[in-house]
Amino acid sequence: MVNFTVDQIRQIMDKKMNIRNMSVIAHVDHGKSTLTDSLVSKAGIIAGSRAGETRFTDTRKDEQERCITIKSTAISLYYELAEEDKVYIKQEIHADTGFLINLIDSPGHVDFSSEVTAALRVTDGALVVVDCVSGVCVQTETVLRQAIAERIKPVVLMNKMDLALLTLQLDKETLYQTFQRIVENINVIVNTYGVNDGPMGIIEVDPKNGTVGFGSGLHGWAFTLKDFAKIYQSKFKIPEAKMMRKLWGNQFYNAKTKAWEKQENADNVRGFTQYILTPIYQIFDTCMTKPKEDAFKLADKLKIKLTAEDKEFEGKPLLKTMMRKWLPAGDAMLQMIVIHLPSPVTAQRYRCELLYEGAHDDEAAMSMKNCDPEGPLLMYISKMVPTSDKGRFYAFGRVFGGTVSTGQRVRIMGPNFVPGTKTDLYEKSIQRTILMMGRYVEAIEDVPCGNICGLVGVDQYIVKTGTITTFKDAHNMRVMKFSVSPVVRVAVECKNPSDLPKLVEGLKRLAKSDPMVQCVIEESGEHIIAGAGELHLEICLKDLEEDHAGIPLKKSDPVVSYRETVSEESSILCLSKSPNKHNRLFVRAAPMPDGTAEAIDSGDITPRQEFKARAKYMSEKFDFDVGEARKIWAFGPEGTGPNLLLDCTKAVQYLNEIKDSVVGGFQWATKEGVMCEENMRGVRFNIHDVTLHSDAIHRGGGQIIPTARRVFYASVLTAAPRLLEPVYLVEIMVPESAQGGIYSTLNRRRGIVFENTQIGSTPQTTVKAYLPVNESFGFTGDLRSQTQGQAFPQCVFDHWQILPGDPMDPASKPFGIIEHARKRKGLKEGIPALDNYLDKM
Amino acid sequence: MFYLVGLGLGDASDITVKGLDIVKKSKRVYLEAYTSILTVGKEALETFYGRKLILADRDMVEQCSDELLADAEIDDIALLVVGDPLGATTHTDLIIRAVEKNIKYKVIHNASIMNAIGCCGLQLYNFGETVSIVFWEETWQPDSFYDKICINKKLGMHTLCLLDIKMKEQTMENLMKGRKTYENPRFMTVAQACQQLMEIIQKKQEQGEDLCLRDETVCIGVARVGSDEQHIIAATLKQLTSVDMGAPLHSLVIPGKTHPIETDMLRHFALDDSVKAILQRL
Repeated sequence: MVNFTVDQIRQIMDKKMNIRNMSVIAHVDHGKSTLTDSLVSKAGIIAGSRAGETRFTDTRKDEQERCITIKSTAISLYYELAEEDKVYIKQEIHADTGFLINLIDSPGHVDFSSEVTAALRVTDGALVVVDCVSGVCVQTETVLRQAIAERIKPVVLMNKMDLALLTLQLDKETLYQTFQRIVENINVIVNTYGVNDGPMGIIEVDPKNGTVGFGSGLHGWAFTLKDFAKIYQSKFKIPEAKMMRKLWGNQFYNAKTKAWEKQENADNVRGFTQYILTPIYQIFDTCMTKPKEDAFKLADKLKIKLTAEDKEFEGKPLLKTMMRKWLPAGDAMLQMIVIHLPSPVTAQRYRCELLYEGAHDDEAAMSMKNCDPEGPLLMYISKMVPTSDKGRFYAFGRVFGGTVSTGQRVRIMGPNFVPGTKTDLYEKSIQRTILMMGRYVEAIEDVPCGNICGLVGVDQYIVKTGTITTFKDAHNMRVMKFSVSPVVRVAVECKNPSDLPKLVEGLKRLAKSDPMVQCVIEESGEHIIAGAGELHLEICLKDLEEDHAGIPLKKSDPVVSYRETVSEESSILCLSKSPNKHNRLFVRAAPMPDGTAEAIDSGDITPRQEFKARAKYMSEKFDFDVGEARKIWAFGPEGTGPNLLLDCTKAVQYLNEIKDSVVGGFQWATKEGVMCEENMRGVRFNIHDVTLHSDAIHRGGGQIIPTARRVFYASVLTAAPRLLEPVYLVEIMVPESAQGGIYSTLNRRRGIVFENTQIGSTPQTTVKAYLPVNESFGFTGDLRSQTQGQAFPQCVFDHWQILPGDPMDPASKPFGIIEHARKRKGLKEGIPALDNYLDKM
Repeated sequence: MFYLVGLGLGDASDITVKGLDIVKKSKRVYLEAYTSILTVGKEALETFYGRKLILADRDMVEQCSDELLADAEIDDIALLVVGDPLGATTHTDLIIRAVEKNIKYKVIHNASIMNAIGCCGLQLYNFGETVSIVFWEETWQPDSFYDKICINKKLGMHTLCLLDIKMKEQTMENLMKGRKTYENPRFMTVAQACQQLMEIIQKKQEQGEDLCLRDETVCIGVARVGSDEQHIIAATLKQLTSVDMGAPLHSLVIPGKTHPIETDMLRHFALDDSVKAILQRL
């Protein structure tokens, strides 16, 4: 631990080239928080004299009880890199001082991946922790993909080597092959979602460069090839950097010829296994099986200094101590972070074009690009953190440009802010700026760009996220895209009806404190909470009950969100007339080409793109007609959703004067679909013709908006409407012997297994399957009981799929679901008939 | 029989003798109350006719015509429309629906703003297409009426501009939620209409288009035409933006090419001497 006063911390903040903002990301249970602890105990900055405990970053009681991270937490570290190691740094640094590392530990469970998204936004680099036994898992892939998309540079740490050696007893070559495969898997993901040697430079990871570490968080040791190259450089008389290349891949040392060879044969040995794994295996072997004295001898040989107390240990504790003293985890990881992850100066240069929506040469953009503390303020608030003061929040975020200070008057822009208007815009003063370190906060006068901090007194103006600036023409910073969707929901009501105001207030607070949860009030008056999965909802409900509302609650069984779509083009050209009968809209609905809705979700196709470039992309990739794709009027619902409104008319006079109204009707219709008022998805509406009254007064919003909605509904009803249900990708780790239970459980729940692989040479297998979310409630418990508790599933939302069956057919499953949903929402029974919406010529 | 009865523009007594007979003998009498208003209220009409009236709002006329036309085959049903039933507001659609139901109908005409506008001294023969100027909203600012004014003006024709009336408008939010909550009635004044026209002119000027209207073009603002408080003012577009014409309803006339006799008449309505001077030069 390092003791600093706030003033000292503030001084390091100015050395922007020596700052590293990074997140720790991984699959659940791959050991992030434990690893983070060893970093904190090595270099954590503590203001004053507050002692650290285990799992420093898990600040909530339930986190410590459940041993999982629920909320991401930021902590700062201070590290001084040895002078000779500075040559490895490929970017500018301040030579005279140490490094400030702002680290965010984020949850690994998929249900909380929105926390990861929020963490990634404010950081520039990521330490990807991979359990070397189970390898790259579904959540590793999800978070890594997000990191790459956000232009976050990754480094990797292979964790749990102790498990591989002690429990699984893997031989050296197998272990090497395992590592090799994990590195390959990671680079496949990196190359799929990013461009190696693109704007970010080299983003592939490679042990030879030192961007991959190995170790055991639990035992507190880790290394990179650099550590061993340093040991061997004198022995082989090869400089350290060059030596690293010999210790990985197909590099074999022939002891007889004293030469490195590229081909394996009987006389040579692989560099990695011989010079790295052998000594490690030897220590393990000696400590666990041989007498203590042998171990002490070995310690002497390796120049590990054991104290008298250490020598009291035996077996595993002795092993831990020796390894920790020989290869301290903190040093290896901190070196890797400082050397390979970018400083804000480096990262903001290439992240600016991605994150900033305005012109890339306006004052705010320049301030961010140059990481200029003197420029206009540009700060992104990525999440709201509850304070000890109930109902109030800290706004947590990253300063990208300028300096944020106590008392400063700023513009607070929400996600719906439109430049040049006052929509979603507030001008307020910042009450206080604070440093957030683990569970403590410290007041600080101001914070320059490149740093992460919290703000007090802006919480009532920010719903979940926002941009804060002092530049009056600044645009927003791009909103975050979450990799999961809130597809599971429950209805809550208070046990005591007089508590309703508390419930409403509590829901508001809950919505603020979680980046993704949605709290809505249905038409029927029901309060709905929507989250990513069962666990996420459980935590949200608990927070609501105990914290935000503080009242006893009744909860409904979880229900799934559905989407409404169409499976064919409308069988007829649908016509609806305005109430005054003077205006007529002619529309057909059609399904969008496969993949288009997903491309809109992922932001490959957005309403803000330049329309010609977008049309070109859509025609090349999804076979749209270029002319039509250029005339996209709107995305919906909410202006960004996965449905399109296209103008396919030819020369209609005054069309642009009703555009707003038609778009309004489109937003309305896609938000509340015709079947059961769920959102629509994957539908394109083609306006084929429009007849209008020649006088503007007879074609105002009151005439056109309801008409547009009616014609869209009619066109959906004539286009073979279908329901879409959300589907989880389930990854289950299970011993081969217990696989039978998995198949039977999945079969009963409409699950489909599509991959079944053995993990290395272990008896463990990974089964991957698709499971409808609707069938997932109680799945974990069911699975455990069917496999004697040996199977561990991870469910992550994957895609939407059509629920087979015609919703119009009373015997079908969709019909039942729609009836149920309509009843729940207090709607009239049965899908409304077509003649409510379709007019005759 | 279904009767469409025009009420004229002024007050209760503007109804024709024939119309009054029908009102008295009809089983149900509806008062259409969303496209225009009389200077007197429903109560004054009821007192004058000596019978009850049923208010028919937009929803009723446009969407519940069945209710409106019920039993019209046997009984006499009347719909009272301010102005002329087929004048500025066209109730043709209602007639079509009646005909489709084999209901006989009769229209009792009356004065409409479309002809009463002759009061400003411009000849009805020389009017071109009538336009409506609508209330602008933040994102919806149609300006096609300007183009029509230009077309009229190029052909030397006058333009009658009807000004927006919002009797029972729902906000977008209420419309979506299906709540029958309505905004307060709004009537566009001559000043507001001129203000919007000036904005369009400015925009067109920035776009480098030829202007058919200018700040100093003489226009005629009229208010409460046909009533005892009828008020007419001829002034430049710019002047009109700050003229208070009093209570609704207002209309605006943009003269095209004027005949000397038309000019003479306009001079009587001129706001001040500067307007007279401009008219003199025409």
